[in-house]
Amino acid sequence: MKKISIDPITRLEGHGKIEIFVDDAGEVANVYFQVPELRGFERFCVGRPVEELARITPRICGVCPEAHHLASTKAIDGVFGVEPTPTAKKLRELLYSSFFAGDHTTHFFVLAGPDFVVGPTAPPAERNILGVIAKVGLEIGGAVIKMRADSAEVIEILGGKAIHPVCGLPGGVSKALSAEERDRIVEIAKGQVEFSKVALKIFDDVVLANSAYVDLIKSEAFTHQTYYMGTVDEQNKVNFYDGKIRVVDPDGKEYVKYEAKDYLSHLAEHVEPYSYLVYPYLKGVGWKGFVDGKDSGVYRASPLSRLNAADGMTTPLAQAEYERMYATLGGKPVHATLATHWARLVELMYASERTLELAQDPDITNPDVRNIPTGIVGEGVGCVEAPRGTLYHHYTTDEKGMVTKVNLIVGTTNNNAAISMSLKKAAMGLINKDTEISEGLLNMIEMAFRAYDPCFGCATHTLPGQMPLEVIVKDAATHEVLRTARRFM
Amino acid sequence: MTVLVLGMGNPILSDDGVGLHVARRLRETPLPDEVEVAESEVAGLRLLELVRGFTKVIIIDALKSGRQPGEIIRVDSKDFRGGQRYGSAHSIRLDTALELGHRLGYPMPDEVIVYAVEAVDVETFGEELSPPVAEAAERVVVMVRGELGLGPS
Repeated sequence: MKKISIDPITRLEGHGKIEIFVDDAGEVANVYFQVPELRGFERFCVGRPVEELARITPRICGVCPEAHHLASTKAIDGVFGVEPTPTAKKLRELLYSSFFAGDHTTHFFVLAGPDFVVGPTAPPAERNILGVIAKVGLEIGGAVIKMRADSAEVIEILGGKAIHPVCGLPGGVSKALSAEERDRIVEIAKGQVEFSKVALKIFDDVVLANSAYVDLIKSEAFTHQTYYMGTVDEQNKVNFYDGKIRVVDPDGKEYVKYEAKDYLSHLAEHVEPYSYLVYPYLKGVGWKGFVDGKDSGVYRASPLSRLNAADGMTTPLAQAEYERMYATLGGKPVHATLATHWARLVELMYASERTLELAQDPDITNPDVRNIPTGIVGEGVGCVEAPRGTLYHHYTTDEKGMVTKVNLIVGTTNNNAAISMSLKKAAMGLINKDTEISEGLLNMIEMAFRAYDPCFGCATHTLPGQMPLEVIVKDAATHEVLRTARRFM
Repeated sequence: MTVLVLGMGNPILSDDGVGLHVARRLRETPLPDEVEVAESEVAGLRLLELVRGFTKVIIIDALKSGRQPGEIIRVDSKDFRGGQRYGSAHSIRLDTALELGHRLGYPMPDEVIVYAVEAVDVETFGEELSPPVAEAAERVVVMVRGELGLGPS
């Protein structure tokens, strides 16, 4: 048997690796992926005052600090048994909506977009943001940078700091919003709604107008029938900040809806001897291996999952796009992994509209932004939808509020099993005995991975600045390396 | 001429925080007005937003490359530009960020220098630097001051 791996440039440690084993007949036998493990997080946290976790956990990773800050703040609300004021909840959600708009923009234009805009088999040197602006125009590059800067400005106004907000406190937030600041956010949000229209137009022109891409999105190699998880409001509409966790089955029917604090009753973790990754699954369905279908507890939590798990969007333009997406792709639920990119743009529109809606809420400048905690419960679960999936923070403290236990399920972790399955299926669909294993083909396999916008809490800046990824093709019997592709993921 | 000295890293991932440590140490030394010292915990496109408008930028970061722990390398960003540029899932490389800034017509620095310190551990949560990296950090402080035409403080 032979093995294909996707591995990095030199002896860099802490890299991600995709290994593809090929048997004597030239067919894919198995696929594994590995990512670096960060050690000692719980030990680092235990013994600290729990309110420090809202400032520590955002540093686990440089990609979504805002998601960690808010999940952490909500868990701390629980530890102190205090409910934030209505205005405080709106301010937190306002910050979060603006963050989502910036984050989804970056993913589409900088990270995933190059595969579609420049082309999945284009040379890697061109398959980046520079290739995107060469194709769709320089002004898009400027608009993307502006979108990020505007999002950061809103976060700074509300959160005190642009990258690592510090506003979340048990029972509310540290600062009310002035009328002047509100006016600025309204102005920014109007621009973000306009940008979201442009982003959807580009998706239309570049992806949907190209039948080869539509066929790729709908192809069996990139499809899995799984359960889907997402947070919904009382009307079962998508919400990023608060609500109940809803899971639908592969037919789109509600399987369960639960409060975040009950997550351990519904989720369990499977482990494999070859990996330190954990694979969460639905406890009630059970672990049946890396397989899809109604009998397998494998679920996904991603932009597409959130849309599948909900009945719609609360804002008009996002709802229209939501309906168009399902009409185009053959109804709900959509199982096509690559449709996640479209779903991400529907969410971009929702995040922009929601930012505007909240900024225009007459109550948003209400100075009542904090309920001071008066007691301690000693345990709390905080949950938000991170851009990459449902994020759970669960803390236990002693009677003085010092941390005794920490458990996190981060966005990507929900998808570990599905990512493994998607890689395997894409590899099996694309590689057979007659295939020449080209760079472009390995990139197509990576596209199955990239759709999940995976984030493995990697050290974001250790030079050369991002986590390298390696794809290695190996003989399954001799482990002889047949082909290696290296890139930065 | 304005210079930005930018310490990069994660403050709670052991040696990954070396750049932040050097930035803080440099701030304790006397520096001319045209030199600004900043810290950043994120890279990628954020770098472009940080370096805009400066004439020269000196970045300090951790490196994992199989060199001796504590070894310091000085790299000119021009050398980065000659390297391979790949698409990425989460971030873009320094060279891509700089190139994007040039293409968008932003006032970009004429020179970007990177001081990288070979790390021992960047995967364990902790606020301490390992001994060889802590020692190297002190040497980087002197080297960066030298780069700015200043003597050891």
